[in-house]
Amino acid sequence: MNRSQRILIVHCFVGSLSLLCGLNVVAQAATPAPRRIVSLAPSVTETIFALGFGNRLVGVTTYCDYPAEALKLPKIGGFMSPSLEAIVAKRPDVVIGVSSATDPVKAREMERLGLKVTLISLASLRDILNSIKSVARLLGSPDAGEKLVHKITKQFDEVKTRVAPAPRRSTLLAVGLQPLVAVGGKNFIDELITLAGGENIAGNAAQPWLNLPDEYVVAKAPQVIIEAGMGSERERSAKYWGDLKSIPAVKEQRVYAYPSDKILRPGPRVGEGLEEIARLVHPECFAASKRESNKGSGCEGSRP
Amino acid sequence: MNPAIDTRDLSFAYKDRGVLHAVSLSVEKGEMVGILGPNGSGKTTLLRVLSAVLDAQGEIKLNGRNIATYGRRELSKLFAVVAQESHVNFPYTVAEIVLMGRASYHSPFALEGKKDLAVARASMELTDCLSLSDRYLHELSGGEKQRVMIARALAQEPEILLLDEPSAFLDLKHQVQVFELLRRLNRERVLTIVGALHDLNLAALFFSRLVMLREGKIYRDGSPREVLTEKTIDEVYGIRVRVEPDPSGEKPQLFICPSS
Amino acid sequence: MKVLDRRRMILVNGVLLALLALSVVGCALLGPVRLDLSQALQDIFSANPDAEILFRARLPRILLGVAIGGGMAACGVVLQALLGNPLACPQMLGVSGGASLGGILGLILFPHWLLPIAGGLLGEISWVPLAAFLGALLSMMLVYRFSLFHGRLHPYHLLLSGVIFNSFVAAVIMFLNSIVDFYQAQGLLFWLMGSLSTRAYLTVAFIWAYIIVGFLWLWAKGLSLNLITLGEEAAMQLGVETVALQRQIFVASSLMIGAMVSVSGMIGFVGLMIPHVVRLIVGSDHRLLLPASFLAGGIFLCWADTLARILLAPAELPVGIITAFFGGPFFLFLLYREGSRKLAL
Repeated sequence: MNRSQRILIVHCFVGSLSLLCGLNVVAQAATPAPRRIVSLAPSVTETIFALGFGNRLVGVTTYCDYPAEALKLPKIGGFMSPSLEAIVAKRPDVVIGVSSATDPVKAREMERLGLKVTLISLASLRDILNSIKSVARLLGSPDAGEKLVHKITKQFDEVKTRVAPAPRRSTLLAVGLQPLVAVGGKNFIDELITLAGGENIAGNAAQPWLNLPDEYVVAKAPQVIIEAGMGSERERSAKYWGDLKSIPAVKEQRVYAYPSDKILRPGPRVGEGLEEIARLVHPECFAASKRESNKGSGCEGSRP
Repeated sequence: MNPAIDTRDLSFAYKDRGVLHAVSLSVEKGEMVGILGPNGSGKTTLLRVLSAVLDAQGEIKLNGRNIATYGRRELSKLFAVVAQESHVNFPYTVAEIVLMGRASYHSPFALEGKKDLAVARASMELTDCLSLSDRYLHELSGGEKQRVMIARALAQEPEILLLDEPSAFLDLKHQVQVFELLRRLNRERVLTIVGALHDLNLAALFFSRLVMLREGKIYRDGSPREVLTEKTIDEVYGIRVRVEPDPSGEKPQLFICPSS
Repeated sequence: MKVLDRRRMILVNGVLLALLALSVVGCALLGPVRLDLSQALQDIFSANPDAEILFRARLPRILLGVAIGGGMAACGVVLQALLGNPLACPQMLGVSGGASLGGILGLILFPHWLLPIAGGLLGEISWVPLAAFLGALLSMMLVYRFSLFHGRLHPYHLLLSGVIFNSFVAAVIMFLNSIVDFYQAQGLLFWLMGSLSTRAYLTVAFIWAYIIVGFLWLWAKGLSLNLITLGEEAAMQLGVETVALQRQIFVASSLMIGAMVSVSGMIGFVGLMIPHVVRLIVGSDHRLLLPASFLAGGIFLCWADTLARILLAPAELPVGIITAFFGGPFFLFLLYREGSRKLAL
């Protein structure tokens, strides 16, 4: 091979490389945002609606009940057990699930069937906010994600400011009685409790949810008890805790039955959930008639 | 005097397979009767019917009373059964097993009393297993187990003893021991004994009356000399034998004649 | 000639009773939280956290544990005799499966319904344990019906019917588990793994009365149980009305198991392991084996529940996990030490 031939080959090589890279860039820019989305969890559904892409959802779980439009969407199965066939039948561009809840075997199955599956993590508040951003990016509108995260962060900050002057109140947040299932550590709700000016009595636990023995609750003497599970009901709560009068929450009648998805769902309404918790933990900081000026921070005054 | 056991037209069928057909048998008190017959002739079934484990058609009277009028506890004091095999899945000592024979003699809420212990001890002495009393049943050999079962049966202080092939798993020495014991008990205690036997020669030596079953019916009933004839053996067992008297001259013994 | 006499009965049961009393006291003092005993005993009736921990949170569940541990062990002994199988356990009857299913259905369909007792005077109880007990009764009748063979409860058929019924129920429970939501699934776990968590002395008293009556009735049958382990025919020939006895034992133990599972979910292993351990020590005579197993079962479950409270504090483990986890290896260890000599397996 003579010199000019060698130069030609090198030029061709370099040229095709850059062409390929260029094509790649073009290819990426040209990938269209997914238009048919299947959601495998209620919080994902809420996020997609909150980002403004509710019209792109072609399949949701039977538990997706917010916003109201979600109820009208076609169902592809339950939360823990989505139907593979139903999902495939919807011909989605992307399937979005939650890494702690979606069965990894099912996820692999879907990928093997040619579907694009994305699992987001909702374990902590940071995860929730990051997942909102990543879903927004996935759907081709990162700005919507930033906006939503900004809105939620603002909600957090407002609550934080409100409860800042008040001393922390030890709190128990439960989702079930008999057995008593409480929020533990490494749980986004635990973070909410902290942000709301409370201190989760089971916050040092390694598990996100745990069965608590009654003696532990008595010993930790929470000042506030919130029952947020579906089916929580005031009378039943009162009866359940009524005989443990040494618990400050029982003595001072700060046992609340407050079933709420905003508290329990790691989705875009988490800011509202925080406010709900804060109103229960520090009702005095949300007194309707906020005495201005001389009253200082606004968390004093008679408790409502 | 009522016969100890009196059956009339006893029939029993397992689902649709008839096992016993119109068996009429009468055993007097103090008799020692051997039931013979090939496998499937109904020996074991007959014993199970006599011991009220199976319900058969026909009439059975024990000491003149219909068997159905007896309660089980009463029956267990009247007769005792020594089965061919014992499958005990739980660890019991020999003493515990023998004492279970006394179950019908004391209140179910009370523990065994002095008399129960005395009777159990005597029974074990008779069957030569007192030295085994604290060993576990499942550790014993087949022959030792059989002696323990007989001891338990004797602890029931029965009037009638039913045995199903008592020598099936014993070596020759113990076979003879068991039969000699039975003969002694029969003579000393006037114990009525009915045994299903497979060894015809031993049956002839120790039992004064033999009942030969064939396909669920009584084929022959009488003394060993009457029952154990070459013709009968051929017809019932299908083998050719020669019958000769034993050295004492009184009892017949069989000599097998193989065809080759 | 070593035999069971009054001295042995009193000695063994006395020692076990003392151990039981010690266990109750010990377990009451142990837990994931520190208890100031003097504080607890000072003002029992005021709003005193130590008193509430001791008397309202710990004591009821300890007492419940003793009753259920004893009841499960006693039923295990009796079922092993009835089925002639040293590997039998209370689950095999199918009753516990039916009770679990009834409880789970109650939990899903009407978790908050209440039934007032004595016109509301004695409080109210949830319909869930009632549904569980109904499930137990229904399954008992079904298994009984399928095991009846020529009018007799044949042990083999009983075992088979029970095992098949359990498999069927397990499948239904798994199905239900797959369709309930995340939070309901937690409640389901309670039924499947067992829990002694209770503060209601009324429930404890009721279960105690029920189980004591059942246990005494079974104990009275001790001699007949000995005889029936020799085999059905041998038992008949020794004077036992086996047909009636089998029926009675089946019904009595089913009712006991049904009640226990209704209150505390399915706590396994106690009914299988305790009879064997006790048998290795006191022998197979049911007149001693039954009370000894009852007491030993109470001691065992008492400690198992304490471990369940302490091990992963502050979380409470289902006690059924503890019984399986510690029961199994301990049993293997005992087996290794004693060899197969005493087990006749």
